[in-house]
Amino acid sequence: MTDRLSGLFFFLLATGYVWLSAGYTAGFGDPLGPAIFPRVVGIPAIILSLSLMIWPRHNATWAGRDGLLRQAAAVAILIGYALLLEPVGFVPTTFAAILGLALLMGAPPIKGLLTAALAAPGLYLLFDRAMGLPLPLLGTWFS
Amino acid sequence: MDILSSLMTGFATAAMPINLLLIVGGCFAGTLIGALPGLGPVNGVAILIPLTFAFGLDATSSMILLAAVYYGCMYGGRISAILLNIPGDEPAIMTTLDGYPMARKGQAADALAISGVASFIGATFATIGLTLFAPMLAKAAIYFGPADYFALYVMAFATIGGITGTDPRKTLLAALLGLMLGTVGLDPSTGVARYTFGSFNLYDGFDPIVALVGLFALSEILFFLEEKAKSGSLVPPGRVFPRLTRVKEGLGASARGSVIGFIAGILPGAGASLGAVMSYSFEKRISDKDGTFGTGDPRGVAAPEAGNNAASGGALIPMLTLGVPGSGTTAVMLAMLISLNIQPGPLLFQNSPDLVWGLVAALYLANLVLLILNLPLIGMFTRVLGLPVWGLMPLVVAISYLGVYAITHAAFDLMIMVGFGVLGFVLRKLEFSLVPVVLGLLLGMDMENNLRRALSISGGDFVVLVQSPIALVIYALTAAFLGLSLWLSRRPGAIPMPPED
Repeated sequence: MTDRLSGLFFFLLATGYVWLSAGYTAGFGDPLGPAIFPRVVGIPAIILSLSLMIWPRHNATWAGRDGLLRQAAAVAILIGYALLLEPVGFVPTTFAAILGLALLMGAPPIKGLLTAALAAPGLYLLFDRAMGLPLPLLGTWFS
Repeated sequence: MDILSSLMTGFATAAMPINLLLIVGGCFAGTLIGALPGLGPVNGVAILIPLTFAFGLDATSSMILLAAVYYGCMYGGRISAILLNIPGDEPAIMTTLDGYPMARKGQAADALAISGVASFIGATFATIGLTLFAPMLAKAAIYFGPADYFALYVMAFATIGGITGTDPRKTLLAALLGLMLGTVGLDPSTGVARYTFGSFNLYDGFDPIVALVGLFALSEILFFLEEKAKSGSLVPPGRVFPRLTRVKEGLGASARGSVIGFIAGILPGAGASLGAVMSYSFEKRISDKDGTFGTGDPRGVAAPEAGNNAASGGALIPMLTLGVPGSGTTAVMLAMLISLNIQPGPLLFQNSPDLVWGLVAALYLANLVLLILNLPLIGMFTRVLGLPVWGLMPLVVAISYLGVYAITHAAFDLMIMVGFGVLGFVLRKLEFSLVPVVLGLLLGMDMENNLRRALSISGGDFVVLVQSPIALVIYALTAAFLGLSLWLSRRPGAIPMPPED
């Protein structure tokens, strides 16, 4: 089933890709234009995705409900980490991200807290101070 | 003698204090990363690339560091394979077959020593091969025209990953997806913005390094969350000191494994996994008279270890001379070179002899360092393996973020990285290999430029692509590889493997 779905996804993606390429024309210079390569790539992708829809061979097994929830929570943490790194700063966001991920991976709460409390300032000191990588200690919200 | 004097200059470069420090540090870090279950050389190198940029190392030193990490990871993969029956990376799967049974019998130290020596033999053999053959191939490659390069790229995409036994259609689709992602941004020859949907952030396209860290490091995190972290139980350590007689038993197998692994490594797309599989099966065929393979035979440990390390060295040859990587990790190293504005290919040996020969010399030194490091530090590595996953993996995330942020200073790139992380996870779940995606993203622009150059010479006639004898030979080889991989994937009992190298 998952093979059929991924085939469908790739079919839609590749069709859209080739269809959009029709709009890419260059008036002068290159006689072949910027649309040739997308077609060379997109058309085989359409054929392969059709073949995957017609002859699927594999069915992926996904994690159980708990696992999927943990994965969704992890993605939320990763996105939050990316969005808040600049406004909040490296140390607080790293602390929160490490703590959150450690807990999701089954860390005992106290040990997870200790790991995050040591690692976040530790990484900042190691990389910003000792190795000279500029990292925002506290973000724009605090300055 | 030309080669010898170049190599001497290379040693002078590699022996500079900063480079020696990077070799020792890289070997150490690489062995640790390789030993961690689930993290292989691709992840190791991918995590470290942003850091090397951020430190402002010059091109030669960066490549030396990455090469040391690469060799270190290949050595390290065997440690958790032998002690925990968890291969640190894909090629180490073959090492579990005889290594873990040896450890169960209390011969862990023997197995680690045998595999350490076998790795040394394999990697040294490959490095000598690299010294001798790479300049020859580079000279031949000067005669390649645009159509021949296009054929070479087709071969790289058609063969990479397909040989390990997953569905070849998916490997091709993954490569095409990478090529599609690679066309996002301004078209280099006409300046037309393609697939940017009006976002200026996408005008430069996707940064391959951001994509790599997302695909490999972040997707790994999602895999670890499938179940609550399990802890592997350590096997009894048994004897602390390896016995020399046992090490000797593996020497013949190491020598044979090195040759097979090296050949497997040079073939684009085959890489270390094929090297390990082929060496093991060959050794089993010629030496397994009493059926001891699979129950803890030292030769069954030596052959795949020599094979995978020889293959890793061999995979550097097409990467450096043709700009076409032979494995996932060399693809990542290629990304590094391109990001440093160094174009790998036949002219690399003429334009950047310091870099090439410094790198080759560093590989010799890294091997020596790894042999010296590996034997006494076995106890320490086993202790690190005891650290819980919940402590290690969040650190990997934080280091990925700070590395990417330090080079791009853009939260947008971090979001792209997360997007690639989720994409990588879903693709791996669906048994799509990630390596072709990366290759497509990396090589897409060169492939397109060569295609357009060839076509503009011929005035748009596609026949030009199959007119040169070099291109025809390459297409024939590609067809043979594809046939082989189809056969391997249909064969009953094909060894199922995770899709990356």
